[in-house]
Amino acid sequence: MPTRLSTSAPPRAAPVAKQKLRKTGKAAQIAEAAKGIKTILVIDDASLVRLYYRSALEAAGFKVEEAMNGIEALEKLLEKPVDLLIVDVNMPQMDGFTFLRLLRQRDTAIASIPALITSTESGQKDFEAGREAGANYYLVKPISPEAMVEFALMFCGLPP
Amino acid sequence: MPDYPALTEDEFRRLCEYLYRQSGMIFTEAKRYYVERRVNERMAATGSQTFASYFARLRINAEEENEHFVNALTVNETYFYREDHQLQCLSTNLLAERVGKKRVGDPIRIWSVPCSTGEEPFSVAIWLLENWPLVDNYEIEIVASDIDTRALEQARQGIFGKRSLMRLSPYLVEKYFSPMADEKWKILDDLLNSVQFSTVNIVESSETRGFGRFDVIFCRNVLIYFDDASRRMAAENLYENLLPGGFICLGHTESMSRISPLFEVRQFADAIVYQRPAASRTRG
Repeated sequence: MPTRLSTSAPPRAAPVAKQKLRKTGKAAQIAEAAKGIKTILVIDDASLVRLYYRSALEAAGFKVEEAMNGIEALEKLLEKPVDLLIVDVNMPQMDGFTFLRLLRQRDTAIASIPALITSTESGQKDFEAGREAGANYYLVKPISPEAMVEFALMFCGLPP
Repeated sequence: MPDYPALTEDEFRRLCEYLYRQSGMIFTEAKRYYVERRVNERMAATGSQTFASYFARLRINAEEENEHFVNALTVNETYFYREDHQLQCLSTNLLAERVGKKRVGDPIRIWSVPCSTGEEPFSVAIWLLENWPLVDNYEIEIVASDIDTRALEQARQGIFGKRSLMRLSPYLVEKYFSPMADEKWKILDDLLNSVQFSTVNIVESSETRGFGRFDVIFCRNVLIYFDDASRRMAAENLYENLLPGGFICLGHTESMSRISPLFEVRQFADAIVYQRPAASRTRG
């Protein structure tokens, strides 16, 4: 996907070289720095899947934490909040929907952390269950590294 | 190591017979030098003065000597991405065929046996992460087994030297390992946790049975150590460990067609593999 910061022309035309520098250099640096301080918690019981998402997100500049199930995720969040949650549905001990419902019921700031559901289920009922549990978006697996990064940027309020 | 006298022909024969009964591995005069060196190592380690006293020790299995001896005999020369054309075949052909019969989210079971010090099962995990876009769409289960408990212990540590990593690009080493002192690298915890390790003797059906059925088995460069009877037994045991339509990958010098008629030969662009027929067949 082509990335573009702005299409409007600057009031005074800067030399081409400088303009180019601004777009690919400084702006990119700012975006990188912003990503570096955004932390994402990946919650999935499969360690390979956690590593798969983690590699993609870290390569894009995010900081990544991991949890194996809903309970571990809640424990981690109470210790330290994050900027975005990526939540699998089927997990032992506490599934993703239960985790989100419990999280959204809390009356502290962590209750409103944006959450992306990741699931192999793609039925209308599953989407509704995700929304009811408090997910901001529902991604159907398989999710490519590019798509994962794209949604993470969007939900962290960062430019693509 | 003390200078021990060479084994007599009779001693060597009795040792090989014993070894065969215990492990199914066959050694002939051609391997005498190799076997003798391992015997001498174990004699030194156990403080045995003569072969007779060491052999007695082995036969009563004093302090698990059977296990120590088998560990000393099995060669653990391996590295990441060894015979990677088979890994290519795994991601492009074998799994594509297997998932055609599954629902998303179903398990895909892969068995690395013998897994030695872990390079093979971890290679499978890394290869899939890098080359198979459906890695999050199925529940991938990688089981790794070996008869050699010392190798397994090392595999569970997930620490590798330069030689093991020689075929991996610097990009992959940086991505999946953290550097340690003395030119060693530790594999990431997520990879370590994605493989389940266990002991098995593939000649013993009572041991292989408990592992359940797999989609793909990697059984490379071990059948060459067995004699015809043990080889056939191992092949038949592994056949039972395959789902109908499941695949078994052997080392490039090995051929299943000489071992057992149960399997069908499948030729793919990158490798020749053997398949348990999808339709049930009466065993002859």
